[in-house]
Amino acid sequence: MRKLKLVPVFLFFIASVPFISKAQLKPITGVVLDVKNHPVSGASILIVGKPQGTTSDDAGKFRLNNVAENSSLVISFAGYRTQVYKWDGSPDIKIELIEDIARLDEVVVTGLSTSIKRRNLANAVSTINATQLNGVAPSQTFDQALNGKIVGATITSSTGAPGGGLTVKLRGVTSVYGNTQPLYVLDGVFVDNTSTSAGLNFVTGAAAGGSLVSTQDNPSGRISDINAEDIANVEILKGASAAAIYGSRAAGGVVIITTKKGRVGKTQVTFSQDLGFIKVGKLLGVRQFTAQTAASLAGSDTVTGAKYALMFTNAKNNGQLYDYEKEIYGNTGFARNSLISVSGGNDRTTFYLSAGSKDEGGIVKNTGYRNTSLRFNVDHHITDDIKIGISTNYLNTSANRGLSGNDNAGVTLGIALSSTPDFVQLHPDANGVYPNNPFAASNPLQTLALMQNNETVNRFITGLGIEAVFQRSEKSVTKFVAGGGLDFYSLQTKVLFPGQLQFQAVNNGTSIQGSTNNLNSNFILSLVNSHTASKNLILTSSAGFTQENGNYNNILNAATHLISGQSNIDQAGAITATQFRSQFQNQGIYAQEEASIIDAVTATIGVRFDRSTNNGDVTKFYTYPKAGLSWNLTHSGLMDPQGFFSNFKLRAAYGEANNTPAYGSKFTAMNVANIDGLTGAIIGLQKGNPDIEPERQAEFETGMDFSVLNGKLSFELTYYKKNIYNFLMLTNPPSSSGFTSQWFNAGDLRNQGVELGLNARPVTTKNFVWNTTVNFWLNRSLVTRLVTPSVPQGSFGYVLGSYQIQQGQSATQILGLDGPNGVVKLGDVEPMFQMNSYNEITYQNKWSLRFLLHWKNGGQNVNLTALQNDFGQTAADFDQLIINPQTQTPIPLGYYRLSQVGYSAQQFVENSGYVKLREIGLYYTVSTSSNGVIKGLQLGVSMTNFFVWTKYSSYDPEVSNFGTGFNTNIDVDPYPATKRADFHLSVTF
Amino acid sequence: MKKIIINSLFVSVISLLVISCQKDYGNLNGPTEENFLTDPTADNLNNLVTGIESGMRTNIGLYLDDVGTIGRENYRFSPSEPRYITDLLGADSSTLTNSNFYITNTWASRYRVVKNCNLLIEATPNAKLVSATDKAGYIGFGQTLKAYELLLCLNQTDTNGIRLDVSNPNALGPIYSVTQALDSIQEMLNLGQASLTGGTVSFPLSSGFNGFSDAAGLLQFNRALAARVDLYRQDWTNALSDVSASFYSLYGDLYLGVYSVFGTGSGDQVNPAYIPQKQTGEVRVANPSYAQDILPGDDRISKATLRPTATSQGLSSDRDVWVYTSNTAPMGIIRNEELILIYAEANIQLNNFSQAVTALNVIREKHNLPDYSGALTQSALINEMLYERRYSLFFEGHRWIDVRRYNMLNTLPLDRPSDNVWSEFPLPVSEPAN
Repeated sequence: MRKLKLVPVFLFFIASVPFISKAQLKPITGVVLDVKNHPVSGASILIVGKPQGTTSDDAGKFRLNNVAENSSLVISFAGYRTQVYKWDGSPDIKIELIEDIARLDEVVVTGLSTSIKRRNLANAVSTINATQLNGVAPSQTFDQALNGKIVGATITSSTGAPGGGLTVKLRGVTSVYGNTQPLYVLDGVFVDNTSTSAGLNFVTGAAAGGSLVSTQDNPSGRISDINAEDIANVEILKGASAAAIYGSRAAGGVVIITTKKGRVGKTQVTFSQDLGFIKVGKLLGVRQFTAQTAASLAGSDTVTGAKYALMFTNAKNNGQLYDYEKEIYGNTGFARNSLISVSGGNDRTTFYLSAGSKDEGGIVKNTGYRNTSLRFNVDHHITDDIKIGISTNYLNTSANRGLSGNDNAGVTLGIALSSTPDFVQLHPDANGVYPNNPFAASNPLQTLALMQNNETVNRFITGLGIEAVFQRSEKSVTKFVAGGGLDFYSLQTKVLFPGQLQFQAVNNGTSIQGSTNNLNSNFILSLVNSHTASKNLILTSSAGFTQENGNYNNILNAATHLISGQSNIDQAGAITATQFRSQFQNQGIYAQEEASIIDAVTATIGVRFDRSTNNGDVTKFYTYPKAGLSWNLTHSGLMDPQGFFSNFKLRAAYGEANNTPAYGSKFTAMNVANIDGLTGAIIGLQKGNPDIEPERQAEFETGMDFSVLNGKLSFELTYYKKNIYNFLMLTNPPSSSGFTSQWFNAGDLRNQGVELGLNARPVTTKNFVWNTTVNFWLNRSLVTRLVTPSVPQGSFGYVLGSYQIQQGQSATQILGLDGPNGVVKLGDVEPMFQMNSYNEITYQNKWSLRFLLHWKNGGQNVNLTALQNDFGQTAADFDQLIINPQTQTPIPLGYYRLSQVGYSAQQFVENSGYVKLREIGLYYTVSTSSNGVIKGLQLGVSMTNFFVWTKYSSYDPEVSNFGTGFNTNIDVDPYPATKRADFHLSVTF
Repeated sequence: MKKIIINSLFVSVISLLVISCQKDYGNLNGPTEENFLTDPTADNLNNLVTGIESGMRTNIGLYLDDVGTIGRENYRFSPSEPRYITDLLGADSSTLTNSNFYITNTWASRYRVVKNCNLLIEATPNAKLVSATDKAGYIGFGQTLKAYELLLCLNQTDTNGIRLDVSNPNALGPIYSVTQALDSIQEMLNLGQASLTGGTVSFPLSSGFNGFSDAAGLLQFNRALAARVDLYRQDWTNALSDVSASFYSLYGDLYLGVYSVFGTGSGDQVNPAYIPQKQTGEVRVANPSYAQDILPGDDRISKATLRPTATSQGLSSDRDVWVYTSNTAPMGIIRNEELILIYAEANIQLNNFSQAVTALNVIREKHNLPDYSGALTQSALINEMLYERRYSLFFEGHRWIDVRRYNMLNTLPLDRPSDNVWSEFPLPVSEPAN
């Protein structure tokens, strides 16, 4: 209804568009070259003030018809400085583009409906272009493609299982138990990134209490569905100072994803094909038993010990000692990824169409990932002043994720392996019947052969944008900018454990089926006026209204006592049904004023008013201001651009944003608790907090950007300080109250850090060009106020190392027992610093070598995988003799470590630093004639995560098995991380 | 300037259009506490009663493992959870930690039921369409079960005490010492007794209350619990009178009593203390001393059946705990066999040896043992009574508390030389001291 009322207003604006007279028109042809006279293909050529434009072909040539004399052409191409060319009417023109190593001319989104060139930006905004995202090596999912590429981010992986599951934290922890992940905006649509559990907890009992779901079920975040190949670039607003204008959900930062658009010119068809394989990154190895150590598994029971020794001897004599770890995680998954895209358009309409299909195997048999994607983007100028853009995307993904991670029933592959020695026989007999595993609750070979754990998603994401100029004068242009869209998905989860599985002896088969529908929608209506007050002062005013809605409905049914061979939940003797719904609406009003003075000083102020149905008071508006100032000293003439500094900018920005409470924070709900056919209600474990408020983040950021050596070397230095006030924390009230958790605005938190970036071109010769980017970042957090009692959180208590929010301490500290010292700080998840380096070396414009290095220095994990292996007495180094430092006597390492449990947690809190050559790719562009059928041909090979240097003893230092929230970096028998190698072929017609 | 006016106008119009209608979605996933407190229906109260019965079972398996392991009744081997046999058995230098699942989970689950009892007690007076005698029934049930749940908490934390006044979560009462707490629990049971006397039971109870689902039955159940508390308070005289007001029957069915029942229906729970026999991996085995110390012929050996030896961490056992023989097997809350033994114990303490021996012989005969022929001294009879309690109430949560009552924790066997026997659990970390 509301939108309809706008239509007459809108039509009135269209009608009032002034008539623009035409001058004399001629065709124009030209060529775009770089400084070394190489043609630049794909450069965009636009005529100022007209919707007309084209792109240069492979020879760098272009042609435009009907161009008025004295028109100004704007020629731009990613990586080059934008040039304005005043056309005098001559027929053949030559345009020379200068490379822009610091990417000063890149346009960066700064408001909901405004953008600004990087040169004038008040914030450090990271941008990842398509080549960096996807052009070095392919990633299975979009979230994996981001890993290692975001300056200021800490990224962890909840599982190595197919289908992703990464957690991104920008500039430290921004919340304690509130949403810590950034908001993802895809072509203007706020896309959902919920992780929905498939109900594995029902079988694993990882979290006690009999719930169907837990944070330890390691589902994938739904952002993984997005097809990375369709993305043109990703911008990351890392904190409130840049993201304030996104309001309600921006406290964790905003990741703005822009998909590829069509370009004016001949229709181009590109087909690309990747073929590769996926293998386990690292195995831990297994203990080599002897008859004696086999017997020792029985402890003091010599009869059983003798039996085990005999089992070992028989197995050894028959050549039946097995490395089960290798057998389970040693599968080679084959990967294929095909994408066909068609793009083109004329001066009114451009389009981009793509269809992609991906099928990748896993390192565990019967696991894998499929993704089918269809995208259609159209931009159309209805008139010279009104343009609309539509982006539509259909996605179908399916992930078979296996069974891994923490578990209290002995059923996940890792937990089962941890107590399974090499001499036990687990292989099926001639009839395919698997023997029971006498050393564990499950036979992992049987489990992986017979079980299913699948997530299937059908998803539509559609965005619509309208820009209409309804007032235009010499000094002022006023636009109506509206946009929005919807993100709908249906997620089906299917978990099946047939009755013949060893651990299904009681339940006789378990089938857990989940169905989730989620609809997110958002829109923005805004007005933007740009007013050229004088040659030296341009004012851009914008104001608007935003609304976001979310509606989530999850139904999860667990059926047991199945009819043999059946998985439908009605084919069962018992069923447990659950449903969880949530719904929210956020509204915001904002206004922003931006002043650009002599294209050198840019000042921005803005304010936003927000409210949300998730807040305790649904009608109350919270106010979030922002301000920014950038001063380009070279542009303002204070410094000579021909001098030592070719560009020098100082900048500072401040902004506030919020994070709404989780749905349901304010209610004390009653739960269903039945017995014997009677329906019961029991108080929920979470105490409602009717006064819950959003947490407020206030970020100040300042820095300087400068280029030297004529732009060959550029630096970006940033310092930020983020204060989070009234952070949302799921506190633990005394459980004698009947409640174990309550959302609370529990205190204040501060993150401080620096980010240093360097872009350089160390080598430029006729044949060789080496471009490099080096980034360094670090963050330190401090809890400045805590109003609730400080208790261990989120893991297994002090015995094994635990997180704990304490005033005056780092928010991510790990506390634990340390012998006679009692409970002390044993570590911190926060790394000392991180660095990455992206490099591209091109040879003769044909060969291109690209690689991404990532170094995380320090930071600890709670590694319990080693404990499990010690406890099951299968750790590879179990028998290694050491001198017990307490008694000065020799003791096998495994026994020593076990003797420390309950005395010291030192051994579990482990440094998780690493250096990874995340991606390396070599590409060759075959020369082709621009007149032939094939216009471009590129071949390549790439490797991902093949080279990892770390002392971390478990599978992968980036692990975080306990969900996407705050209490991350706990390692309990995850699905191991993988490495991959691919061959690439890309053909353009 | 004109633009700014247009902009502001535009924004105000849109804002007015949209903002006038902010919704509040409420809780979409079930009723809230307030729905039950303000003007509850009889159905609401019945739901709370059922919630209490259902919630009593949550983590009860863990409770039995806690007290059973420390009381050297059983081992719980779990490949994924070493703390069952490190912390609980005091292996090497490990201790019981206040942030660990073995105390935090059981404590929280018991107090959740206490909260539901308090809700029932608070909500009942607000029920307009429920008669006064029915109200007394609800309140009596609430008081009785609340006392029972608090007793289970106190069994774990003993001299560390428990919190009693927890009706207002924002202003919790102090931690009471064990003596004060036992007195208050007894008082609570007496309040329940007073309510049930003259009250009527209009609410449905599960089949675990078969035979006790009316006011008279609940009164007997209430007194049975009171008799147990009398023992803990060493109030031997009242123990005898409470036993006689309960469903005690010297020659009756030992298994007569009130139970928690289990089922596989939606929202129901299965017996968490059930593990099939001869399992590998996740197992619950009897402490070897169970078979070593049992008298020849004692049929209670059937509560620990033979299995292939299970081992872990230097511990081993060749007998499964076989008290709960299916995943829907009921679990006793209190039953006649215990009442007979309470009767025996109180009489021993009051030096009525012949009554005590009669009762002990009833138990012995039922378990295929000859009559008691030992010395007729208090200490000999106490040992005999403790033997019967150990085997009759095996893995029902008693032995550790019994040996603690008699200061005999040092008689419990240490299965590994560096193990320790704990006398109590620490208060959970979330409980601030007074």
